[in-house]
Amino acid sequence: MGASKLSGMQKQVLSLYRGFLRAARSKPIEDRKRIEMIVSTEFRHNSKEVDRKNFQYIEYLLRLGTKQLDQLKSPDIVSLSSVKVVASKS
Amino acid sequence: MAFGLIGRVVGTKPSRLSTAARLIPARWTSTGSEAQSKASSGGGGANLKTFQIYRWNPDNPGKPELQDYKIDLKDCGPMVLDALIKIKNEMDPSLTFRRSCREGICGSCAMNIDGCNGLACLTKIESGSKETTITPLPHMFVIKDLVVDMTNFYNQYKSIEPWLKRKNPASVPGKEILQSKKDRAKLDGMYECILCACCSTSCPSYWWNPESYLGPAALLHANRWISDSRDEYTKERLEAIDDEFKLYRCHTILNCARACPKGLNPGKQITHIKQLQQSG
Repeated sequence: MGASKLSGMQKQVLSLYRGFLRAARSKPIEDRKRIEMIVSTEFRHNSKEVDRKNFQYIEYLLRLGTKQLDQLKSPDIVSLSSVKVVASKS
Repeated sequence: MAFGLIGRVVGTKPSRLSTAARLIPARWTSTGSEAQSKASSGGGGANLKTFQIYRWNPDNPGKPELQDYKIDLKDCGPMVLDALIKIKNEMDPSLTFRRSCREGICGSCAMNIDGCNGLACLTKIESGSKETTITPLPHMFVIKDLVVDMTNFYNQYKSIEPWLKRKNPASVPGKEILQSKKDRAKLDGMYECILCACCSTSCPSYWWNPESYLGPAALLHANRWISDSRDEYTKERLEAIDDEFKLYRCHTILNCARACPKGLNPGKQITHIKQLQQSG
């Protein structure tokens, strides 16, 4: 049932995910659901799209995520929101 | 210089640059312009120089690559930043780099040009046909193309508490704290630092320990506050950096003095701190 031994990078990704969920717990309940939704879709999308061996890109995403998490942890920040941009071919 | 360039654009047709990736401005559409520029580029496009620029896009992540761009040096300003702006305007708008003052005072355009760290706005383009290689500051995480992540560098600067700290209030309350000319002269060579990070990213010791070693820039600023006669927390400042890793990773390699675009000598200031630690 348990997953095979996780690599260091996988552990970092999981701990970042956990960090986001913990930060979400400190926000009001309406925003908490939105944060969890955004974070989980982002992580799931990247886990499918990004090649497991593309270390440079994964590390880049980890650094980006850590910075966003530090911002989210601050008590002044209330919520996250995301906008979907579709590049038009015109 | 800018005035001269505008005059040239209005008066003549632009010379066609012979590379695969370029943006053709919509204004110059008539066939007359094409015929004219073909005639002129035969004689005028003689001074071409190739720039190899480090490219990496986080939106289409793959391996970073060196992309070639050819620039006619007659049509371009003398500095590397002029070439980069020309490439971004005319050939490849997706080239990403930091820049602000274009006069060597803000420190935004720090990058590695032909193996040496420096400011793009102060580094002249080397004449001759040799290729110029432009890469981001070494051993820093890349955000995109030539833009690097400076947060660790800024946090280290913040950690030395670069502000005046006093235990006693000023002798004349509400007025400036006075300082003799000799004491002010002690700060020369340190206050001019623009935090461009050229020195820290040229230090091999900083490459191997970026999180624990403070780096020449932060230590130069630490010495600036230690040597300031108006600051009263000298002993505490010295104790704060009296650390195996924060200060003593410096092995006087002195790459920092070579790289500084403002001509400062961080190695000398670090030696001064070490002497104070010895004596105090």
